[in-house]
Amino acid sequence: MAYPNELIRNFSIIAHIDHGKSTLADRMMVLTDTVAQRDMSEQLLDSMDIERERGITIKSSAVRMFYTHTDGKRYMFNLIDTPGHVDFNYEVSRALAACEGAVLVVDATQGIEAQTLANVYLAVDGGLAVVPVINKIDLPSAEPERTAQEIEDIIGIEAHDAPKISAKSGLNVDQVLAAVVSTVPPPVGDPEAPLTALVFDCFYDNYKGALTYVRVFDGTVKPGMRIRSMASGHEFEVTEVGVFTPSPMSVEELTAGEVGYIAASIKSVAETKVGDTITSAEHPAIKPLPGYKQANPMVFCGIYPADGAQYGDLRDALDKLKLNDASLSYDQETSSALGSGFRCGFLGLLHMEIIQERLEREFDLDLVTTAPSVIYRVILTSGEERQIDNPSNLPPVTEIELLEEPVVKATIMTPSEYVGSLMELCQERRGIFVDMNYIEESRVRLHYVLPLNEIIYDFFDQLKSRSRGYASFDYELKGYEKSDLVKVDFLLNGDICDALSTIVHRDRAYAKGRAVAEKLCEVIPRQQFEIPIQAAIGGKIIARETVRAVRKDVLAKCYGGDITRKKKLLEKQKEGKKRMRQVGNVSLPSDAFMSVLRIN
Amino acid sequence: MAGIYLHIPFCVRKCAYCDFVSFAEGSVPEVYVDALISEIELVSSGGEYPAAFDTVFFGGGTPSLLSGEQMQRIMTSLKAHFDIRAEAECSMEVNPGTATLEKLVAYRAAGINRLSIGLQSTHDALLNSIGRIHTFDQFLDTLKHARTAGFTNINVDLMHGLPGQTLNQYLDSLKTVCDLGLQHISAYSLILEEHTPLYSRVQSGSVALPDEDLVADMQDAGIDYLVERGYHRYEISNFSLDGFECRHNLNYWHNGEYLGFGIAAHAAVRQKRWTRYANVDTLAEYYRLLAREKRPLAETIQLTPRDEMFECIMLGLRLTRGMDRAAFRARFGLDTAEAYPVAMERLRKRGWVVENETQIALNRKGLDLQNEALGFFM
Repeated sequence: MAYPNELIRNFSIIAHIDHGKSTLADRMMVLTDTVAQRDMSEQLLDSMDIERERGITIKSSAVRMFYTHTDGKRYMFNLIDTPGHVDFNYEVSRALAACEGAVLVVDATQGIEAQTLANVYLAVDGGLAVVPVINKIDLPSAEPERTAQEIEDIIGIEAHDAPKISAKSGLNVDQVLAAVVSTVPPPVGDPEAPLTALVFDCFYDNYKGALTYVRVFDGTVKPGMRIRSMASGHEFEVTEVGVFTPSPMSVEELTAGEVGYIAASIKSVAETKVGDTITSAEHPAIKPLPGYKQANPMVFCGIYPADGAQYGDLRDALDKLKLNDASLSYDQETSSALGSGFRCGFLGLLHMEIIQERLEREFDLDLVTTAPSVIYRVILTSGEERQIDNPSNLPPVTEIELLEEPVVKATIMTPSEYVGSLMELCQERRGIFVDMNYIEESRVRLHYVLPLNEIIYDFFDQLKSRSRGYASFDYELKGYEKSDLVKVDFLLNGDICDALSTIVHRDRAYAKGRAVAEKLCEVIPRQQFEIPIQAAIGGKIIARETVRAVRKDVLAKCYGGDITRKKKLLEKQKEGKKRMRQVGNVSLPSDAFMSVLRIN
Repeated sequence: MAGIYLHIPFCVRKCAYCDFVSFAEGSVPEVYVDALISEIELVSSGGEYPAAFDTVFFGGGTPSLLSGEQMQRIMTSLKAHFDIRAEAECSMEVNPGTATLEKLVAYRAAGINRLSIGLQSTHDALLNSIGRIHTFDQFLDTLKHARTAGFTNINVDLMHGLPGQTLNQYLDSLKTVCDLGLQHISAYSLILEEHTPLYSRVQSGSVALPDEDLVADMQDAGIDYLVERGYHRYEISNFSLDGFECRHNLNYWHNGEYLGFGIAAHAAVRQKRWTRYANVDTLAEYYRLLAREKRPLAETIQLTPRDEMFECIMLGLRLTRGMDRAAFRARFGLDTAEAYPVAMERLRKRGWVVENETQIALNRKGLDLQNEALGFFM
């Protein structure tokens, strides 16, 4: 039995980090008896440890609730929780596309912050109804009226009647539920029309296999049906459909307007991609839902086991993570310095950090990672074209006709007082100014074209620190542009260490070479012999530093007969040495490979 | 050879670099002395221990916070319960500013015959910077009293690598101390231990230690100077006139047996296996266990012969004369070079080792890099 569409509300929650998104979601679930108070753990929808610790959402999730309104009717709420970082912008846009409305949570002590804006605009542009909610009004420093005014001024939606709540204590949260009913429109869709269902995330469940999170726009999907991915053309048989309560629970069918999951004989998540449209194989829809694009990895780095014997474990771990994360890519590669490992591709830096952290924590692996790189395009003098995702693979200069690097169209929104320092930042990062306009008196939108390799490391941090956290940043790939790039190699004791090679703009090569050589000199511990460190472009040495030989390595004193302590110190020292990487006859600490980044 | 160590975990104030177990007190609580004595009685009535002892050592903390009477009680108890040889070396650590002439006379009467005075530097500004409670003049008073009290075997501890210390300052301290005609000098480089006030100051940048090369220069110049003044280097950080080596410490470096009393004290005895004991490191636990007539042990480690062998190497290679091959053979039934052929080969290749019929020793370069050398044996 299809649930009447006029009683369904599909929405997500948009909030700045720490403004109370997860607390509000938790509170709504308790208030609608979706979960019992006693089963509540904080951030219920964020099931990964990393999500809870960092207070961020990485994967989308969905939960179905039933709310009895003052009109006596029982409404079905589908709450879709979305990630909030620019790396996952595409996922956010798809999750929002699955909704008719969005609850905007603003902290009454902080006001609107930058990160929220990009997502609010995404929602507004997508035609979603926005339900503003002012949170944390129980705090002494709360300024609910001012916050309401700010929402009206900046976003341009009526906010003075917005529910003023404390998600923490539960105060007025019922008003949020009521506002969802009155503000968010019900879905429209024809249960009898050919099936169109939007995929907004995928998840690998250990028991049910690959689960595809969908919003059904038209038609009905039920077990036994043959379905087709409109992006890939692959067909599958539906084994189960269900909803999240928040744990997966199977239902008879999902019809137009509903949100839930489809389990099919899909081998892995890789076969269904976010943004894809699923339709019926028998009565296919004529055209897919709009907005699908292939999410390609933009940032690459080498990931190697610290202990070469763990190569197999690393491969197994990547295989497992891939099940849940279609945007992760990896290929086997070999480095003369680091042995066997993988060249991995990510959506962005946060995505990269998260994968590294999950590999280390969930799979207990000790990793060595190299500095992130983008994909460069090389046209050789022979006319051959190559994609280079690892700087050490760049052909010799003499064979290169033309080098191109990826550039992005970047949009920065900022309070006007930070414009000067943000323009300076973009300038430093080889940005090309496109235009600037005032959204309103005190807010500015800047457009720049920036090389991707200038923003993949600390651009976002810099942007935040130069704008006291108020600027927001969004980018999309523009394409490839010719650029005067060179490869800088680093030699340790005369041998090139391939894992340290980096590609930079010629104007920066000298400064970069010097800075990295100095940094390496700091992080490489003194050894039995003097170690020259050189930076080179082609065969030309552009910088040189020396790590002097160790002179004393001895425990000065015996501690009142505590021999065990001395032995433990020696064991620790030995353990530390084991974790070092042997490059030629030089021992390198694992983090030396990232140190090429941590320079200014 | 066998020794007895007693830990006196109280200080007027903790020094900024110190991570030994010690508590700030102006004197040693009577209850601690009582507990020490009950531990002595308990151990003597029970376990397996060496038949006779050649050395006694009071370490700290600040053993010179003990009153003369307290020292007398402890020494009387020790002699009543263990066979302490008549010619035994009985040492105690003394902190300038805590030992009056009366106390020193009483220590001597109680049987103490060797003092180890913690001077660290002859420069008051440096002493102050590491939180020492005394000045150089106070040290001179203590030394004068010690000699008046009849002590003729005296060590002084010095440190290099102190915050702001220059090479000349260090050499000046060495010269001043050598001119005083002492029998023994310990010259340590400062070790920056985590969880100490000095560590936090260095981390925060409010205090800077001399760089690695300067510290190495100090050590090298210090060794040369002391040798020139007639002190022979018999261990990495220890120098003495002939016949005045510290026998208690030599016993550690020979991996000999010793008992330990007091909190955080350690012991090593030969039972079925070579066994190490560590006492608990809190006063509450120490008192509680002794009140119930239980040994206040935190840890008992029985070593495999191979581990015991490594300890012999680790300790023996601290001595400039190195390992005694005959003693090693008597203990383990094989020669050192046979037990560790690969490690020995690596040492030879580095040129760090001196071998003859009776000894295997590290040369000066090998001693400088002893940790690396020991890594070969692990």
